Amino acid sequence: MLLCLLVIVMLFGSVSTANAQQTVIEREAARVETLRRISSSIVCVMDPKGQGGGSGVLISADGYAISNYHVTSGSGTFMKCGLSDGKLYDAVIVGIDPTGDIALIQLQGRSDFSFAIPGDSDQVQAGDEVMALGNPFLLASDFTPTVTYGIVSGVRRYQYPANTFLEYTDCIQIDASINPGNSGGPLFNIEGRWIGINGRASFEKRGRVNSGAAYAISVNQIQKFIEHLKCGLIVDHGVAEFTVATLDTGQVTVAQVSALSDAYRRGLRPGAEVLSFAGRLLTSANDFQNVLGIFPEGTRLPLTWRDSDGLHEGTIRLRPLHAFQKAPELPQERQQQPPEDPEKQDGEEMHADKPAGEVPEPLKSLFVARDGFCNYHFNEIQRLRLLTALKERVASNGDPKPAWVIAFNAADPGPQLVGELTIAASAVGLNLNNRPFLQSTTDPLVEEESPQLPGLLVAMNQLRRLLSTDAAEFTEQQAAGRTFHLPLKKDVDVLLTREGVRTCRWYFDGSSALPVGVDVEYAQGIDEARLLFTDWADRNGAVFPGRIGLISGVREELRWLNIDSVSVNRPSATEKTKP
Amino acid sequence: MTTCVIHALERVYRTALILTLLFASGRCCALQSDFRATDEVLKSQQQTIVKLFGAGGGSLDSYGTGTLVSGDGHVVTVWNHLVSTGYLTAVTADGRKFTVDVVGTSAEYDLALLKLRSEPGDSFSCIDLSKVSDPDPGTPVLAFSNMFHVATGNEPVSLVHGVIAARIPLEATQGRWKFPLKSPVWLVDAIINNSGAAGGLLTDTKGVPIGLIGREIRHSASRTWVNYAIPLTTLKPVIETLLSGKKLDSRPTDSAANTRMISDQELTARFGLTMLPNVVERTPAWIDTVAKDSVAAKCGLQRGDLIVLVNDAIITSVTGFRQQLAAFRSGERVSLTINREQQLLPVELQIP
Repeated sequence: MLLCLLVIVMLFGSVSTANAQQTVIEREAARVETLRRISSSIVCVMDPKGQGGGSGVLISADGYAISNYHVTSGSGTFMKCGLSDGKLYDAVIVGIDPTGDIALIQLQGRSDFSFAIPGDSDQVQAGDEVMALGNPFLLASDFTPTVTYGIVSGVRRYQYPANTFLEYTDCIQIDASINPGNSGGPLFNIEGRWIGINGRASFEKRGRVNSGAAYAISVNQIQKFIEHLKCGLIVDHGVAEFTVATLDTGQVTVAQVSALSDAYRRGLRPGAEVLSFAGRLLTSANDFQNVLGIFPEGTRLPLTWRDSDGLHEGTIRLRPLHAFQKAPELPQERQQQPPEDPEKQDGEEMHADKPAGEVPEPLKSLFVARDGFCNYHFNEIQRLRLLTALKERVASNGDPKPAWVIAFNAADPGPQLVGELTIAASAVGLNLNNRPFLQSTTDPLVEEESPQLPGLLVAMNQLRRLLSTDAAEFTEQQAAGRTFHLPLKKDVDVLLTREGVRTCRWYFDGSSALPVGVDVEYAQGIDEARLLFTDWADRNGAVFPGRIGLISGVREELRWLNIDSVSVNRPSATEKTKP
Repeated sequence: MTTCVIHALERVYRTALILTLLFASGRCCALQSDFRATDEVLKSQQQTIVKLFGAGGGSLDSYGTGTLVSGDGHVVTVWNHLVSTGYLTAVTADGRKFTVDVVGTSAEYDLALLKLRSEPGDSFSCIDLSKVSDPDPGTPVLAFSNMFHVATGNEPVSLVHGVIAARIPLEATQGRWKFPLKSPVWLVDAIINNSGAAGGLLTDTKGVPIGLIGREIRHSASRTWVNYAIPLTTLKPVIETLLSGKKLDSRPTDSAANTRMISDQELTARFGLTMLPNVVERTPAWIDTVAKDSVAAKCGLQRGDLIVLVNDAIITSVTGFRQQLAAFRSGERVSLTINREQQLLPVELQIP
């Protein structure tokens, strides 16, 4: 009996010991293997002289890498980057997101860089194991990254700008050691998926060294900015044009609403309870701030709220927060410090000037300075990608000057509409159910729009400009990143055009060279004209959509106009009837 | 004979059995290096933590942490400046906000028992004082605290992982204040004693309560920051006494231990400072002379300067200034605030 027990105990004991041992060893082996795999994507970011610096992570084989804005802002336009292969690569600044403390750079000289695979940072939870990689204290002269291990201390943290414009929203708090030089380096989950960029820590009494509380910008936020950054932009964050407060009862209510805002026009008023924003349920004003901070300016987001009339939903476009025209300067204490002496006080040892090292000749063509852009060279690449294909596709439209006459009809929802649009260089005319509307293209007035189809005339004028083969039709054109389109519910590339006060966002979904929609801002305090385009075809020598959707009204209803016929080159009737 | 043999064998087996059990459990414990805790453990521990808010200023934080020890809303925390401010509020894990009363304190254990002013029907999750235990050094632990005030409202407090490094008596100070507890505390290998963390909870990865996170203090010998928690097994009888309504010792006011001060001679010899003579009961801390090339001269002090603050302590008299200076050790940096011609100026002084 005892013998039996003894054997069982010994067996159990040894087995469980062996199991525990095996698990620890296996987990270590898995970690080592993961690190071996991800280390080659880690970048040591330095100025052109190979000085100072921080960390970064490669995100594509063609050398795009993400770092912190506060790392690259001190390094100038061109940088030297060290990889774990021990080699030094040239790199150029591509785009910046100063508020989000993110910078996109491109390493040169290879097309087969190793890169990190992003995970889903929304799935990260407190208690998850994480690894931070980078070059703290610039310890490795051969650029072998330093690894620190920790757990997630909290998620969806909000860290105030604190005397700067750097704002960490919805970020991941970790207890892995983060020290000077780690900035811009990636945070990985234990499976080796990239989940964030380590950029901030709570430095206090113990000096500028790890305090056990550091913050990583979530990869899901960064992903929303990457295509904007690739366009060489100074990407801005947004404001919602209304403020919220948390009640003691845990409800989030509207404090103030700008009367000129999208939200106001959708019917949002002070006192309403905001239930969700961008699809996330809100339980505090901090939640709201967190959601707001993860989107680039210009994004259209859904909002759900409740007031005495019941439940409402609508979409609002984020307006610019800072509208930087040039890369903004950081206060000294937020610039990347030479990290040799953590005991030194803030700002004690700074680069007196921005470094001016030798820039190799072939690199110089990779940078074009222009106001409002981080690096216009990259905007040109993206802009031409969209525009060249478009112009080729509409080449058959030929001379833009003759008038286009478009007959259309619309059925449900709403009353039956039959109309004829005449789009000419000087004016746009609409005959809708035998009611005439006429608008000059040089000085369009809001009151000249039809009440049933508001914004249609101004949008048609813009469409004619886009579809003409003359690129000089707009005073300004730029690639403006990628956004999730509502109501199309898909990612689309954005081409932004300006002509006078009229700003258009043209949306391209990659399926064709022609746009799938446009949003036209044409007057302050008036809803944008929001159009969708489908069934593009050549009709009588004009490339034109077969159906045009128009979103309008408090409830943002979508109404489809079926194009019956398109004719061009007829004498311009509108020219003659112009008063 | 056979019986004898059987008995002998039984004894051998029994010893072997005990040894095996000991060995097996010991090995398992030593190999336990997993910091992962289940979601249920993390969520249930989070429910027992409250965020405290009071008055602060300078390096004294206006926020802190407390741990719920009764379903009625009793909270324990460290007896620091926050408790002494007299106006305290607490926010529970679900975002409810309460005014807080101080029920009892113990200077010896650096402990304060608070009570949330709750309404009838309010209930609270709390740690189970009957389940507190003492782990072995090497045990993985989790620290829950409102450090750096990262979490607000109903947001979960910060979580830090570490390992019990040692169980030792602690000799440490915070300015002139000396850590009072004589019995051993837990030392942890992670930075758990951050701003606002005092009063937070240390548990093992199964959620067993182990300790109450202490203050930000430096070790007396090395002057390095200490990461410690007071064992809940030590605090349990104290908490129970306070819960029963009994009063414990109050804090000694400026006792002999705290009256050490730098003499006038030492002040002149070491710092090069001569103060205005202490003629009345509260002579202000006016500088009379500053010796050339002295420490005081090098940091910019001048004749006629009035010392107003030493770090964050208000100086009301020359005696107070000499007492404050006595708390620092050679090499430490002290920030003085002086009044010079109606202007407040910061001066950094390195203790010679």
